[in-house]
Amino acid sequence: MTLRLVLVDDDVLVRSGLRVILESEPDLTVVGEAGTGREALEVAARTDPDVVLMDVRMPDMDGITATERLIARDPGRPRVLVLTTFEDDDYLFRSLKAGASGFALKRADPDELVDAIRIVARGSSLVLPDLTRRLIASHTPSRARGAAALPELTGREADVLRLVAAGLSNAEIAAEMFLSRETVKTHVSGVLLKLGARDRTQAVIAAYESGFMTA
Amino acid sequence: MISSVSVRDVRADHPAVPTWLPHVGEERSAPTGESPGGRERQDRTVPTTTFPRSAAEIGAGLRGVVAAATGPGWPGRVLYALALLPAGALGLALYFALFGSVVAVIYGVGLLLILLVLATIRGVAGLERRMLRSLLGVDVPAGERVRRQPGVRTKVRRLVTSAGTWRAVGWLGARVLLGAATLAVLFFATVLCVALRFGLDWNVLNALPLLALMALVVLAALLLLDLLVRLAAAVGPRLLGAGAEQRIAALQAGGRRLADRNRLARDLHDTIGHALTASLLQATAARRTLSPGGDAPVQPEFARQALQHIETNTRAALAELDRALSVLRAEDDGRDLAPFAPPTLADLDELLVGLRDGGLPVALTVDVGTDEVPAALQALAYRVVQEGTTNVLRHAGTPVTVAQVLRLGDTLAVSVHNERPEQQDSRPGPGGGRGLAGLHERTRAAGGTLTAGPTPSGGFELCVVLPLAGAA
Repeated sequence: MTLRLVLVDDDVLVRSGLRVILESEPDLTVVGEAGTGREALEVAARTDPDVVLMDVRMPDMDGITATERLIARDPGRPRVLVLTTFEDDDYLFRSLKAGASGFALKRADPDELVDAIRIVARGSSLVLPDLTRRLIASHTPSRARGAAALPELTGREADVLRLVAAGLSNAEIAAEMFLSRETVKTHVSGVLLKLGARDRTQAVIAAYESGFMTA
Repeated sequence: MISSVSVRDVRADHPAVPTWLPHVGEERSAPTGESPGGRERQDRTVPTTTFPRSAAEIGAGLRGVVAAATGPGWPGRVLYALALLPAGALGLALYFALFGSVVAVIYGVGLLLILLVLATIRGVAGLERRMLRSLLGVDVPAGERVRRQPGVRTKVRRLVTSAGTWRAVGWLGARVLLGAATLAVLFFATVLCVALRFGLDWNVLNALPLLALMALVVLAALLLLDLLVRLAAAVGPRLLGAGAEQRIAALQAGGRRLADRNRLARDLHDTIGHALTASLLQATAARRTLSPGGDAPVQPEFARQALQHIETNTRAALAELDRALSVLRAEDDGRDLAPFAPPTLADLDELLVGLRDGGLPVALTVDVGTDEVPAALQALAYRVVQEGTTNVLRHAGTPVTVAQVLRLGDTLAVSVHNERPEQQDSRPGPGGGRGLAGLHERTRAAGGTLTAGPTPSGGFELCVVLPLAGAA
């Protein structure tokens, strides 16, 4: 299955470089490019991509707003991977809050970048788990309300959420809990449904903001 | 009721000890000086009594006086008291030297002498500050450092015009008065003692009261000397420390430095960070096109273009790095960052020399006086030209390019436009460079407008119009 990508960055050089790098992967294809957030919305509507690679700072409309609009249009598709030059905490957290599934550094090794795209498309793990968890934890005021804040979770689901928030992938959770991957997938889906979260990243944000996880 | 009252509280209430003077023991614990708030707090906890009401209170009061006299800082205060006379004499000598050199100026030889005396006075003021700190525990923040000023002429100018110098002269005057007062106290105490001892007939009956009287005279003299030391501690910070205007200036400079640093960080982010990112991705992509995996074709044309982009980007990034480093070095040398940080219209020449070296035929017209344009706008204008020309290199290659900075009425118009490129080897992307987004923000912040787009003749034009009035 080929993943359809849209590249959003205000610099043509960044876009053309990314296009060559990503298209050299057999399972990735770039179906569109955009130079501003507004263009991104239009291109995404026309091309129906799986993943949008979104720059943060752009003229006309920035990547955070564009992500919000994309998610509002259809929570299921596409997923957004934010691309950033620097690890500016504030921007990154705001883009995750806006609905991005993860972020990657533009200076990352091409293999890491490609991995991040595949992870975002599959949703089986967090992208850059440690960094993401720390980012979310440090931007969430600790309310220490404890597990009571998410009462509708079963014991198993609560355990799974704790491991998801710790950054473990489905395979790692399966090994940890002596369950099959399929069972873990079912539990994760149950957790996402009950939390009203689109993906793991949003579930982790909900876990921290409710006080289920504490920083 | 009395048992809960500490010695310190009693002293605050006791009329024998003037509470309006900063007390040495307290200065130790609170180096910024006695705060009025502190005394109010004491007034609330201890009912105010004008006169001691009982023997116990008198006893406590006496203990307070003794504690104040032999408090933690008393050796320092004794030393300071001992220095009252010599320091007064030194002050007098320096005054004579100052007047002497003024008289010498009239005869045409004393100008250097005045500077020498003023410098000596500032040096003495430094010693006095140290004395106040080490002997009395009064922390006096130093004002402007004339020695740190760049250049001999600035040093001399600041030496003569600095308020600190003339306050130090004033302090020397206070020193002379303090010395005179010390001399008077010592003189009268000695005269009184001598008169008591030799001017009267001592016998068995009056010996004891006379001795007590002499002891009282000595005690009074000591208390007066202590008062003089306290006076010095109270007046010293006002005349030796940084003046209010200097403290405000220091705060403002601090704020400016912070703003400069933030601007520098943003500039580095926008220019070097972005150029390196684009170069990195182009390089990675070029490598892939030269040795593609699987059955993908080799694309030498893409690699050639990528190398050209990398060259342009890296050259611009290095120029920016050079500027940023010179800013940081300037700050490291203790010079104020502010005058070095923002580029000015005068720096445009240098910028264009670099671009011409890079193969861009570019002409520059600056038709506005440098002093007509506020520094902030000059920096912005520089950025416009920098961004515009860099974008020409990026997107259009090396067509003929014209940069203009003109005054149009109450506005400053900055434009960069290029002719139709001979070969369009790069896409003229609508977004332009990253810097264009930043320029948009800054132009808006300055109340101006930015337009960018293709010209009818097939070239490209970037134009920024900034209001000159009220922009400073």
